Amino acid sequence: MIPAAPRPRENQGAPHARIDARLKVTGEARYAADIALDRMAYAVLVTSDIARGEVKSISLHAARSAPGVLDIVSYDDIDGLRKPTFSTSSYTSLGPLHQRTIYHDGQIMALVVADTFEAAESAASRVTVEYSRQPPTAHFDSPGTSQMDAAGKVALLDEDPCTGDFAKAFAAAEVKIEADYATPQQTHNPIELFSTTAAWSEDVLTIYEPTQSLYGFRAEIAHQLGMDVAKVRVISPYVGGGFGSKGPSTPRSALVALAARRLGVPVRCVVSRSQGFTTMPYRAPTRHHIKLGANAAGKLQAYSHDAWELTSRVDNYAVGGTDTTARMYAYGAVATHVRLVKADRQTPAYMRSPPELPYMFALESALDELSYELGMDPVELRLRNDTQKDPISGKRFSSRHLKECYEKGAREFGWNKRNPLPRATRQGDWLVGLGCATAVYPTNVAAATARVRLEATGDVRVQSASQEIGTGIRTVAGQMAAEQLGVPFEKVTVEMGDTDLPAAPVSGGSNSTASVCSAVLKACEKIRARLRKVAGSNLAPSGSNLPQLFKKLGVGVIEEYGEFVPEGVPPEALQKLYAGQTTMLSGSERKQVMFAFGAEFVEVRINVRTREIRVPRLLGVFAAGRIMNTRTARSQLMGGLIWGVSSALHEATEIDPRTARTVNRDLQDYLVPVNADVDRVDVIMLPEVDEAVNPAGVKGVGELGNVGTNAAVANAVFHATGVRVRSLPIRLEKLLEGY
Amino acid sequence: MEQFEYRRESSLERTLEAARPARPDVRGAQNAIAQFIAGGTNLTDYMTLGVAKPNILVDINGLRERLGKIESNGRRLRLGALVRMAEAEDHPLIRRDFPIIAQTLTLAASRQIRNMASLGGNTLQRTRCEYFREVSWPCNKRIPGSGCAALEGINREHAILGTSEHCIAAYPGDFAQALIALEATVETTGGRSGPRTIPFAELHRLPDDTPHLETILAPGELITFLNVPTGPWTRRSCYVKVRDRESYQFALTSAAVALHLEGDIVQEARVALGGVATIPWRSSEAEAVLGGHKLNETLAARAAEAAFAGARPRRHNAFKIAIGQQTLVRALLQAQQMKVFK
Amino acid sequence: MRRHSAAAAPLGKPLPLRERPTYNITLRVNERAHALRLDPRTTLLDAIRDHLGLTGTKKGCGHGQCGACTVLMDGKRVLSCMSFAVMAEHHEITTIEGLSRPGGQLHPMQQAFIDHDAFQCGYCTPGQIMSAIACVTEGHAASATAIREYMSGNLCRCAAYPNIVAAIEQAAAAMRGT
Repeated sequence: MIPAAPRPRENQGAPHARIDARLKVTGEARYAADIALDRMAYAVLVTSDIARGEVKSISLHAARSAPGVLDIVSYDDIDGLRKPTFSTSSYTSLGPLHQRTIYHDGQIMALVVADTFEAAESAASRVTVEYSRQPPTAHFDSPGTSQMDAAGKVALLDEDPCTGDFAKAFAAAEVKIEADYATPQQTHNPIELFSTTAAWSEDVLTIYEPTQSLYGFRAEIAHQLGMDVAKVRVISPYVGGGFGSKGPSTPRSALVALAARRLGVPVRCVVSRSQGFTTMPYRAPTRHHIKLGANAAGKLQAYSHDAWELTSRVDNYAVGGTDTTARMYAYGAVATHVRLVKADRQTPAYMRSPPELPYMFALESALDELSYELGMDPVELRLRNDTQKDPISGKRFSSRHLKECYEKGAREFGWNKRNPLPRATRQGDWLVGLGCATAVYPTNVAAATARVRLEATGDVRVQSASQEIGTGIRTVAGQMAAEQLGVPFEKVTVEMGDTDLPAAPVSGGSNSTASVCSAVLKACEKIRARLRKVAGSNLAPSGSNLPQLFKKLGVGVIEEYGEFVPEGVPPEALQKLYAGQTTMLSGSERKQVMFAFGAEFVEVRINVRTREIRVPRLLGVFAAGRIMNTRTARSQLMGGLIWGVSSALHEATEIDPRTARTVNRDLQDYLVPVNADVDRVDVIMLPEVDEAVNPAGVKGVGELGNVGTNAAVANAVFHATGVRVRSLPIRLEKLLEGY
Repeated sequence: MEQFEYRRESSLERTLEAARPARPDVRGAQNAIAQFIAGGTNLTDYMTLGVAKPNILVDINGLRERLGKIESNGRRLRLGALVRMAEAEDHPLIRRDFPIIAQTLTLAASRQIRNMASLGGNTLQRTRCEYFREVSWPCNKRIPGSGCAALEGINREHAILGTSEHCIAAYPGDFAQALIALEATVETTGGRSGPRTIPFAELHRLPDDTPHLETILAPGELITFLNVPTGPWTRRSCYVKVRDRESYQFALTSAAVALHLEGDIVQEARVALGGVATIPWRSSEAEAVLGGHKLNETLAARAAEAAFAGARPRRHNAFKIAIGQQTLVRALLQAQQMKVFK
Repeated sequence: MRRHSAAAAPLGKPLPLRERPTYNITLRVNERAHALRLDPRTTLLDAIRDHLGLTGTKKGCGHGQCGACTVLMDGKRVLSCMSFAVMAEHHEITTIEGLSRPGGQLHPMQQAFIDHDAFQCGYCTPGQIMSAIACVTEGHAASATAIREYMSGNLCRCAAYPNIVAAIEQAAAAMRGT
């Protein structure tokens, strides 16, 4: 048995190899910037060197006369382009060329188009700009920030969850923890560079761009260009990683389309890795002030969570993770408050587990601190405060097996063999520590559509404009059809990545498997209904009797279109979907509260002299509903665990406080794990059945694995060293005495 | 990237001719109009960034036959400048007799880069300082007199030894620490007075008030060979490199040590420090403490303290003192533990 | 695989080059010789992708920091983004496309990557595979520890690392014939 292909347990699907596996290992899978078009020109962005001020003058003359230059798009030159609309389809409302004001470091100032990449790149460096500079506000502590309440002002947080009288309950608590935590800015940095390739054929625009939201992207671009959506086609066959960065569109794309229209040739713009740090969104830094009160037996009585999230001056974006953390345990009284802090930055957006990653770091670290204060096993503390009811709404969880995850995980990890005292375990020159934390992610589901075609040969084609970003959605959608229609998986082809296909929601919020598979299910149900008419009630549509059934029906193929709308969502959601708007029902909005859960365990080793922090063992035990494919799910969870470690130890986008400019704009200094950082990673998926979540019975796992890990690492570091690090990343200097 | 003329000759004479400056150049070898390129793993990077702008690129790979050999006569190791890092890393004689060299190579970069990079070019690699790499920042190394954005900036990775008020950029290379510790010499040709041999320790210049002048090489002067003398310390040698992640990262701190021990008594020590200084850094301060004494934790700690006594930290890199000291202690004790055959 | 509409051609005809120095070189890629006229600033990576239409090799950073552009040069793994195409004459370059065998049989490394799900988004995968093949032929795949270290020059943001290591262990055995 191969670890990559765990044997499926109850309610878990076969570990089929990815349907696109061969294409990916042969280099035949095409990503957007692989697509070369006749007479294609190359474009390079010119971006600002200041974060705040005005462009007094911009000289394009030297650039225009450089060899090979075809055109430059810049201020006063944007052909009536509309500003973007701040929404899930566009990360900012800022149209960078609509005014000469600079709002953030690396803001687009021009697009230089030439006949070769080298010519464009060289010409771009000849653009000269004179700025009038204003001192920018870089960070939480910089002068010049402004604050506001987030609840009700941002898409992800309607209200600050609260219940009971926190002040009274906290005052009465026998044991208290009060601490500040901080998470840094992170940049997604998928390995695929961002790009836009735009081509016009008369008045029809085709854009090849890696995106996590084909329909959303199309609608937004059409809006900016003042076009009918029907005249825009977006193709994104494979996406080289997204993690949220390719979810919302950015202002670059319409500029490239504009250039292509003016020149009458296709134009490809690849954003450099460095420009990806400033022209694309990021995960905002956060700060937290947590208070926990418990009785001496470890029952929680009070929890308060104040949080601050950085955003731009231009847009209000916050992730509001209290919406999840407030539901995690039987707290007693809960008081939360999220605030936005505005600074001179580009607008942040969502990055893998946007609310949970930073907020659960704070909560799960605080719980660990409480456990030591209580003299109690941190696992036991979670179990003692486990609940089957959301403390805020009183609604039941549709399924919650956190307890089983912890119990299984503790056993597998040898948790009870540890010496619970901090700084008590050493092997040679290495201090050893174990830590644990809760993983959680809401089960989100959205309106989605799919078309399925069945042929008499048993061949099946599934079509849906979802986005394969590495999650395996192509594969599981195919598996759903194969299972529903009773054909071998090998006979299924899946088409995605094109707005010519039926609409699907954004690949965000881990909703795709649930939503798209539910739509595929609907389409297959219709096919089965048609076959049942001639087959009778005992329908076993195997390949062998299909020809007879088709003959009886008198059809060449059976093709059905299926639409899925989550229960409680109005049917207008489908029209909105086609218009580019995903209607997503979040796990906390349903009749029951719907989350996937996990328990994560981490072993760290810290060099007693030079303080390097290494993670030789990682374990996650997850209960996440129906697992469509144990191979792809395990890979998502495993990748998520490693992401979680990265969040704890490696990643931080460094902003120079004097200039609000990004300093580590490359993969040299923006650290992500390398192969040698990862040793043993174990994933256990507990069987779980939850029929309430969606017709597919699926809970999203793409953003589950990386939640809680950063706290588990910090908790393990405390266990190893006695040093509590509350501000990520945990760098070796933070473990020096007197830091 | 600026346009350049590409030249590749098959003889050393024609190669030097191609790189000979047409006029006196005050920019120094690393900013000269004509640049030699071997593996390209450093120069292409800086050309892509717009930091390096040679008008003429002189490809010296045609000289592999002459400059690509590893030889030893027992008294010294002779490395051709065009030997690739990976070749030296894999070489059995180097692994056995000069482990410090093998380790400074193996722990550097990635295998792909080591397959490409030449030993000569590797010693000349330029700083990774992000304020140097991004041309929109003030940087005295790129533009003399323009200022140093790192002094009051994000300087966690910057140097604490050999710094000046004009530049605190760290020398990033590992291999150079082995060379300076082992008192290597560098043969060059094409310089102002023809072929010459210089101690490796003199190759790099402290930044002082001329950080744009990084080496004593003249424009058009080509490194041809690196010679490493054998000594009773060369076999008992090692390199410890401390980084945030386990691999594929420059050193936060590193220590290259070579010891001649009789029992536990240090007869001779050779110590170099990486990640903490503006140039390859031989620590005679540490060597002075070690020589003649019994090597143990206490002595190692004293040597480490001496090594960093002159350190001048900035806001974000003071930790390099403690971690750098501990790195040296680790390396010394590790060298002591090695099983070495005479 | 879905074919694109008529708007796309497998290798687009380039716009005609004017007004700048170019060099005529011959690149040997996957055992075929290609005559090219190139701006000397063209990296080997861009020459492979944009001038030869071999888009399997990917650009992830352009600065030698991610390994996605790894190809073999005379059997050794190198970063094609850090090399000018004009310098690559007289060398034998192998890209991911060069692994294909008659009858469509996959290289053992490719098959192992599939078996062990050693990729997710697939973008770093061609570079990983080329690097992995060389890692084995270099003799650096004798243990999981060695594999992890010697494959650290290939970043995988999807973090498929444990599966990559397992795939290389399988392929190494197959390549050794054991």
